[in-house]
Amino acid sequence: MNERTLPNPGWGPLSALPGNPLMWVLILSEMLVFSAFFALYAAERVAATALFDASQRELDPLMGGLNTLVLLTSGLCVALAVEAVSAGRIRRTRQWLGASMGLGVLFGVIKGTEYAGKFAAGITPETNAFFGFYYGLTAFHFAHVLFGLALLALVTWRTSTENVETAAAFWHMVDLIWILLYPLLYLLR
Amino acid sequence: MTTLPGTRRLLTTWAMLMGLTLVSMVSALLDADDWRALPLWSAGLVVAATGFKAQRLLMVYLNLRAATPAWKGTFVGLVILTLVLIGAGYLVARLTG
Repeated sequence: MNERTLPNPGWGPLSALPGNPLMWVLILSEMLVFSAFFALYAAERVAATALFDASQRELDPLMGGLNTLVLLTSGLCVALAVEAVSAGRIRRTRQWLGASMGLGVLFGVIKGTEYAGKFAAGITPETNAFFGFYYGLTAFHFAHVLFGLALLALVTWRTSTENVETAAAFWHMVDLIWILLYPLLYLLR
Repeated sequence: MTTLPGTRRLLTTWAMLMGLTLVSMVSALLDADDWRALPLWSAGLVVAATGFKAQRLLMVYLNLRAATPAWKGTFVGLVILTLVLIGAGYLVARLTG
């Protein structure tokens, strides 16, 4: 690839990345932060395997799986919004962004139902180390979902190719982190 | 502006991601009535499906396929490293617990 054919000429080593290069820096740093938490989780699990196994039984893997399907479908809608805005179809772009936000809200409702069930059963972040990680990691991820929803709302209002591409990249990062989080907390037992 | 994946490729990828999620859920024996530790092959399948999902999401949804091999390698390498951490933590806990 020569400099003129790069997606972002003038950005040095980041020139070869598609979309907003700074969003890729954010994605890389978020992946590193979550990986560090995953490593901590793994170490704690080794130190207290029986506790983690017993606590993991309290989670509902079907709810987590349903949320994975919802978030991945929301990611598809946002990717289709990028296709639409690139073709200059603003109305269709907003429709896809609306669908994506609707699914993001559904993710939040499912997560909220899950949290409510846990709190009703007396399970809080202070219950034990496993639930400290469970609430900590999922709430940190959920904060990203809320920020992503705000970004999507913003670009639905200020619709341009660059804006939609940037918000979409953030939303896909939220997807990516959840894809890694789901098996760690819910499936691998 | 880079070449976008196109609607057809996005839909194919979405179908693949949904399928792999269902494979992960079934591999983790969600239909089992009683709670028990996963057989190692099943845990391996869950980790492999997760890795493939992350790779597809990076390449198609995030359109990383338009980047240079060095960047593709960096991000896919980081996903692999993360999965190795997850898998190793699980394996050590399983074998020593």
